[in-house]
Amino acid sequence: MDLDFTAAEQEFRAEVREWLAGNVPRERLPSMDTRAGFEAHREWERQLAHARLSAVSWPREYGGRAASLIEWLVFEEEYWAAGAPGRVTQNGILLLAPTLFSYGSAAQRDRFLPGMARADHIWAQAWSEPEAGSDLAALTARAEPAGGGWRLHGHKTWSSRASHADWGFGLFRTGPPGERHRGLTYFLFPLAEVEVRPITQLNGAPGFAELRFDGVFVPGDQVLGEPGQGWRIAMATASSERGLTLRSPGRFLATADRLLRLARANDADPVLADEVARAWLDAEAYRLHTYATARRIAAGQEIGSAASMGKVFWSELDVRMHHLALRLLGERGPLSAAAPDAEDDGRWLDGFLFSLAGPIYAGTNEIQRTIIAERVLGLPR
Amino acid sequence: MNFAFSDDQLALASTVRDVLRDHCPPSAVRTGRDRRPAWAELAGIGLFGLLVPEEYGGLGLGLADAVLALEETGRAALPGPVAETVAAAPALLAGEDDLLTALAAGRTAVSVRIGDQVYVPDADLADLLVLTDGGRPYAVPAAGALLTLQAGVDPVRRLYAVAFEPRAGRPVGGDPLAALRRVTVAVAAQLVGAARHLLATSVGHAGTRRQFGAPVGSFQAVKHQLADVAIAIEFAAPLVYRAALSVDADLPTAARDVSAAKAAAGEAAERAARTALQVHGAIGYTAELDLRLWLARVWSLSAAYGGTAVHRSHLREALLASPAPRRWP
Repeated sequence: MDLDFTAAEQEFRAEVREWLAGNVPRERLPSMDTRAGFEAHREWERQLAHARLSAVSWPREYGGRAASLIEWLVFEEEYWAAGAPGRVTQNGILLLAPTLFSYGSAAQRDRFLPGMARADHIWAQAWSEPEAGSDLAALTARAEPAGGGWRLHGHKTWSSRASHADWGFGLFRTGPPGERHRGLTYFLFPLAEVEVRPITQLNGAPGFAELRFDGVFVPGDQVLGEPGQGWRIAMATASSERGLTLRSPGRFLATADRLLRLARANDADPVLADEVARAWLDAEAYRLHTYATARRIAAGQEIGSAASMGKVFWSELDVRMHHLALRLLGERGPLSAAAPDAEDDGRWLDGFLFSLAGPIYAGTNEIQRTIIAERVLGLPR
Repeated sequence: MNFAFSDDQLALASTVRDVLRDHCPPSAVRTGRDRRPAWAELAGIGLFGLLVPEEYGGLGLGLADAVLALEETGRAALPGPVAETVAAAPALLAGEDDLLTALAAGRTAVSVRIGDQVYVPDADLADLLVLTDGGRPYAVPAAGALLTLQAGVDPVRRLYAVAFEPRAGRPVGGDPLAALRRVTVAVAAQLVGAARHLLATSVGHAGTRRQFGAPVGSFQAVKHQLADVAIAIEFAAPLVYRAALSVDADLPTAARDVSAAKAAAGEAAERAARTALQVHGAIGYTAELDLRLWLARVWSLSAAYGGTAVHRSHLREALLASPAPRRWP
């Protein structure tokens, strides 16, 4: 057991750090949930891709560097420590891509991955429906066979980034209604042909959208995996989302470091200082835990439902850290980026609102705790 | 980067676990205290010489090699001054050839009073006490010290006020700070082990105890409490393993890492104990159930070598006072 980076890992870290130091925009980009901000983030992603840094863990042929899991964690630590922009491409690069590598055909990988790495196509998820949130298997949107493909019908909602994204992925029912997780199929579809209604989020920007499918045609080669296999494939995405790939420790380490600086600058009272120290160490615990998990994955072990423990831990830590920052800022805590007196360009308030989504998305933390109890601990259903 | 235990480290823990399953069942914890159950067998596999240099018959290993084995002693609530003998004694007795040789051979159970400790745990089960007096450590044969029991909640890990005649003590040349760090990590590991036992016992009970026509473990209010215990243990353990590495390498962050380990392990174990009692209900509140032995051990160990509040205070100081803290690696 050790905690020593190899020479290659250290070299990679140095390269990433140097590139970021020379390229991260000095000014904070506008919110990616606005049209202008979305396009500014797309441009940033293109810059990253040009340096082969947008998807470092992918094979070279698709625009990556075949980085190991540890190297990817190193990349993430450096990326967030540098204060680089949020990843508008994350649904594609971090969630859909692992699923494409596992279940997609070679033709699908060749068709979709390079454009995803270059941010030519930015992807949105389409899971939830008005009556199927945590209970995803209750979904009713359906796909009907139609000459060489399928026609999609129904209603998806709370789809992050779908207001401005180019492509979507999600589950539609191809079997009989009411069959729960049976008879679901995983589709990839361009959003241009879907009716998209932006939904304004707590922060005032249209980060969500509602999608209405009125017989949109999707060719058969845009089904991921086999028809009817959708649930199993989607669960693979969900476990990526709960596990390492969505929320690596890097972003929480960076937040914890900023929080510590804020507490030191504001001469935090002992009560808040105690909570700040605890949060900083919790971020450290998540980092160490992740190094151990990465090692297990590299050794071929499945993480499975244990990913739910990490999801609860990081999402609640993130809320705690941002809430602490607002408490440290006192009256200035609720000021947004537009306020002349806002701390750090309003990052703390934006981060707080963003963090509040964490315990809800990717399966609410109540669902996660039930998964932990039943599938990790073995308690009766 | 390979933050995972080696096959040798895992094998040692597994052997210790097997020994304790056979020789330190709950009935032995409850009734066999006077005989130090399983100690002879553990001496036989070299547990007490793990950290003793090879020239004295030990294995010359580090705390990182022993930490999982120590976790197993916590899981079994093994009676006796285990953490003190395995982790503190080799550092305190450094340079004392005869004492180290006896220690490595498993002939000497050692308890200690170092740092800010006032009481000596398991002094009556120890052969040798190492007591700091005015900052200097003295080795005192247990038979030559005056022990006053300070009765407490843990019927097995008993605390003693100890007095000794200076001439009965032999000054020893070891390092009390190094010993304190090691024993603190060892106790943190035992707390993780005790917490794992409490969680497993609670899950077992919740799966079989039926009320309202269903196992109580099928109710979400019970499930979610146990899930929170699992999460607390899951994220405390890596801090303990890291502290062992930091102490072995004498890193600049060692003091902070030790405090982080003890605070997180203590909190996880106290949560496990609190939840275990709640999940067991009234039967858990009896002395008839073995559960009480682990509850008491958690309360006892979490107060040892700096309670959670003390370590949280160190951490606040380390992180918020100048100079700015560094992460490692």
